[in-house]
Amino acid sequence: MRNPRTLATGLLPAVAAMAAALVLAGCTPAAPATDSEAETQAPVEGGTLVYASGDAEPACLDPHVGGNYPQALVSSQYLESLYTKDADGKLIPWLAEDSTVSDDGLTRTVKIRQGISFTDGTALTADAVKANFEHLLDPETASSTGYLALGKIDSMKAVDQSTLELKLKTPDNSLLESFSMPWVAIESPEALKRSQAENCASPVGTGPFKVESWQKQEAVNLVRNEDYVRPVALGSDDSLAHLEAITWRFIPEAATRYAALQAGEVQIIDNAQPDTIAAAAKDPAIEHLDAPRPGASNRIELNSSKAPFNDELVREAFIHAVNVDAGIDSLFFGTAPRSHSALSSVEPLGYSAESLFSYDPAKAAELLDEAGWSERDSEGYRVKDSKRLSLTFPVSTNQSVPAEQSLFEQLQATAKESGIEIKINLLDLSSWYGDLAKNDYNLVSAPYTKVGPSVLAILFHSDSTVPAPSGYFANLSQVKDPALDELLDTAGSTADEAERKDLYAQAQKLVLEGNYVLPLYDQQNHFLYSTKLKNIGAITAVATPTFFDAWLAK
Amino acid sequence: MSLPKNHRTTADPVLVQHAARLTARLPLVLSTAVLAFFILAAIVPALLAPYDPLAINPADAFSAPGPGHLLGTDESGRDIYSRIIHGARPSLLIGAAATGIGLGLALLLGTIAGFGGKWLDFGVGRVLEVLFALPGLLLALVFIALAGPGVGTTVVAVGLTTAPGYARMIRAQIIALRTSAMVEAATVLGRSRRQILSTHILPNALAPLAVLGTLGLGQAVVWAASLSFLGLGAPPPAPEWGAMLSAGRTYLSLAWWMTFFPGLAIVLVAAGSTVLSRALKTGGPR
Amino acid sequence: MIPGAAWWVLGKVVGGIFVLWAVATAIFFGIRMIPGDPAEAIMGGPGSQASAEALAAARAEYGLDDPLAVQYFSQLWRLATGDLGTSYSLKSPVSTVLGELVPPTLTLAVLALLVAWVLALVLAVLSMRSGRLGAAVASGLEIVSAAVPHFWLASVMIMLFATTLGWLPPVSTNSAAGLVLPVATLALPLAGFLGQVMRDTMEAAHHSSFALSARARGESETGVLLRHSIRHAALPGIALSGWAFGSLLSGAVVVESIFARPGLGRSLLSAVSARDIPLVTGVALLSAAAYVAIMALSDVAERVADPRMALP
Repeated sequence: MRNPRTLATGLLPAVAAMAAALVLAGCTPAAPATDSEAETQAPVEGGTLVYASGDAEPACLDPHVGGNYPQALVSSQYLESLYTKDADGKLIPWLAEDSTVSDDGLTRTVKIRQGISFTDGTALTADAVKANFEHLLDPETASSTGYLALGKIDSMKAVDQSTLELKLKTPDNSLLESFSMPWVAIESPEALKRSQAENCASPVGTGPFKVESWQKQEAVNLVRNEDYVRPVALGSDDSLAHLEAITWRFIPEAATRYAALQAGEVQIIDNAQPDTIAAAAKDPAIEHLDAPRPGASNRIELNSSKAPFNDELVREAFIHAVNVDAGIDSLFFGTAPRSHSALSSVEPLGYSAESLFSYDPAKAAELLDEAGWSERDSEGYRVKDSKRLSLTFPVSTNQSVPAEQSLFEQLQATAKESGIEIKINLLDLSSWYGDLAKNDYNLVSAPYTKVGPSVLAILFHSDSTVPAPSGYFANLSQVKDPALDELLDTAGSTADEAERKDLYAQAQKLVLEGNYVLPLYDQQNHFLYSTKLKNIGAITAVATPTFFDAWLAK
Repeated sequence: MSLPKNHRTTADPVLVQHAARLTARLPLVLSTAVLAFFILAAIVPALLAPYDPLAINPADAFSAPGPGHLLGTDESGRDIYSRIIHGARPSLLIGAAATGIGLGLALLLGTIAGFGGKWLDFGVGRVLEVLFALPGLLLALVFIALAGPGVGTTVVAVGLTTAPGYARMIRAQIIALRTSAMVEAATVLGRSRRQILSTHILPNALAPLAVLGTLGLGQAVVWAASLSFLGLGAPPPAPEWGAMLSAGRTYLSLAWWMTFFPGLAIVLVAAGSTVLSRALKTGGPR
Repeated sequence: MIPGAAWWVLGKVVGGIFVLWAVATAIFFGIRMIPGDPAEAIMGGPGSQASAEALAAARAEYGLDDPLAVQYFSQLWRLATGDLGTSYSLKSPVSTVLGELVPPTLTLAVLALLVAWVLALVLAVLSMRSGRLGAAVASGLEIVSAAVPHFWLASVMIMLFATTLGWLPPVSTNSAAGLVLPVATLALPLAGFLGQVMRDTMEAAHHSSFALSARARGESETGVLLRHSIRHAALPGIALSGWAFGSLLSGAVVVESIFARPGLGRSLLSAVSARDIPLVTGVALLSAAAYVAIMALSDVAERVADPRMALP
């Protein structure tokens, strides 16, 4: 199945028609090529969609708290953001109407759309948005992703009912991109006043569905918001969702999830594994949606803060010593194209450098000899000053799917041929973070989802090597380069789009040529769904699907 | 039970006896052979394995069992048969070491309980009760979180979880012996406590250890496999059976041989050691 | 008689309280030894961006700054007064969380125990009635099923009964059909264990003096089997049930994950990995209490099944 990059929110008829061409299963209202019936069928009203998620059940349904991808997936159904992305990947206002920035870049004015209410009846106003930002910046909320995204805001003021004025510490040209993320979604200010436990169980937003109940470990039950107002009108008259309800289930075991889809117990599953996607391609009753996440690519970071990777030659040698392509080909069944960029392929400002990442053991050997790792021990590993060339690689079993773990094993095997030892430690998430905080790693793979190239500053600015009090830091290659910092700072604050693009390209070039990262592929985000489920494909800025246009065929 | 009583057959009774004895011995013979095979594999894997268990060959991934690869290949094109052979060492080692730890701990606790008098016995009894009351997996999970995953951790975790069961059996055995006629006679004859301990009680108490040990070997291998399933077993790329089984289940519909054969190895060892332990218990096949 | 029974009950109660105290103590110190700051677990788990002040506030709120001894005794006091605390990761009272998760796990465990019992007895009886070959087959079945890891059995059954045959749902809901696969997964290995033990005892009982005398009285083979042998075989089965229940909870961790069933096992796994001390303690105490209760019950049952061990 061919799966072009998809970024469609299904907003306008023109956009939708284009999306139909782009998105595998098509988008509103034109029919996907794979299903000619849909063209003649009118949408069926009602019915309950059962969604099966392979992610861990969120501890909190409010994505302000913490802020991870599973939260984004479910909350995209009941919360909406100020901005979103259209089918072209272009940023468009959603709950916001418009936004302007002062010449010095330090004052951002956001016009809030009027006539929209939260499902508890509270009206959407500038004050409501302000309350949300305050909630995100409040340490008590323990927001991680949203907190970082709004970090440049110094103060804010609701000028009137529909105008919010933000004073920034430094200019931030990625603020609107940040606004499009579900972790900065807008919730009812009245609901936010409740205790965190209450708000976690039933956040209140403006979305096409609302949270009805949550049976822990079983399902989150969403029902249609009967008073939904679509911020940006569609061509069709009705703005309500076709589906009556969504049952959001958690089925951690991949095989069970797929079996449930085949048995018709659920209509859509996420975290589809490569082998199942390949198997599903032969099943006429199952469709595939590939929606790579924005932000960083999935890559291995090389910890440059300590031996042996404080030597650039060794970093370069490692990159040429491991055979990534062969592993991806055999393990991912063609579902994950190789990446040669630090950014996701859906990021327009991504810079790719294929020539840097060839599998070339001869070159690796040459570089290692040059770096002084020329002797070998009894097991065939290279040694220098009687120390073995050994790399510690903590792998989080929560974050790496089986195919990825197998890929790491293959890298381990090919590195061995070049005399490099890789020690893979499979760890639970807490221990994994613990090892990172202790700087007890040489290699690590840590996905990071964010909208826009500003993720580069989070991952590669020297400021990001300073750990948060929890010990966590995002710059895991620990690159500290004043020239790179300068590039990232200027790229993040310039008002000139062309300059921004150029500076980010230079920054990425520095990172890639400095051999700090080994890109693997986009952050995988595959969905399999029953052909009975029509019209999915509309996804948010972070590639989570939404179901306000979807319907279930009888 | 020796032979069926009153068998009404006209065949040569000696022949029938012979055949019956052979049939009765068959499971034991097979079990011994299976265990011997895997122990040999654990000692000299290179003798039995045609391929390097770690050598990847992505182009050859997911090959079905056939002449090239007797039991097929896994997702990285590694030969399953060679991995099972090479996996015998870590798997059996985990099984044996865990059982050893469990039995050692049990023997200590059991001996203290059996000889230390009423109060010590009571104390150990309570300790065992507490260990029993904690779910084994919780014990293992907490221990792994404490010590970090690895073969050594798996060994201790499995040993800890199985120890209380053994301890209880050993204690019962010792108590039964202490009150036995043999020991009472020795006491009457004026033998010292130490003499009684070394000549009468310990040898008899140790006899069931062989039974428990063989039985435990298989169970420990199963336990270690469960930890691997939870992502907390032997680190990759070690061809440990539990890890293979756990990795293979992802590809169950694509390559059944990836789980079937490592699973078979576990079942064979567990079943073989059970048969052997039963035979030991009854002093050979009946 | 009455004072004897009262002593027996008192002994059980005191013993039970001791076990609970010891479990609470072991868990408290065991988890504290795991590296990592509990305040982090409270403030959104590892990798959080929580500020130093927020972490400090959380430490103060949960009393994590107090000396360990103080924390330990205040924890014991809270537990003694029935307060299990608030889950770090779920932000709701542990008692509420457990209240939601106990019924599904209990249903699973009790059904699995019953099925295992019945299977083990049926196998044992069948093998007694069908001669040497039957015994060999039954013994083989028992040994193999006792040696099968839960997760493997579960995966195979899903592929066979849900995907290939389509008879049963792969995901376990509380409907009867949804319970079949998880119960079978837990019950089969357990039945293998119980079966081995029961058959040994049953064989011994079948050839015992009282079975002989019953036959001499003219009782049929079946009568002897039903009246005496099964009764004897039940004894070790009952004695093992407390242990079996504990092992079922361990098995539930795997089974609940694979069949996506809500329950204690699954939450135990996530609680340990989130370092959610109150929830881990709650699950541990609950299962310890269940163990104590089952041991007491099986004590009674044993005495009922075996007339030689009359109730005191």
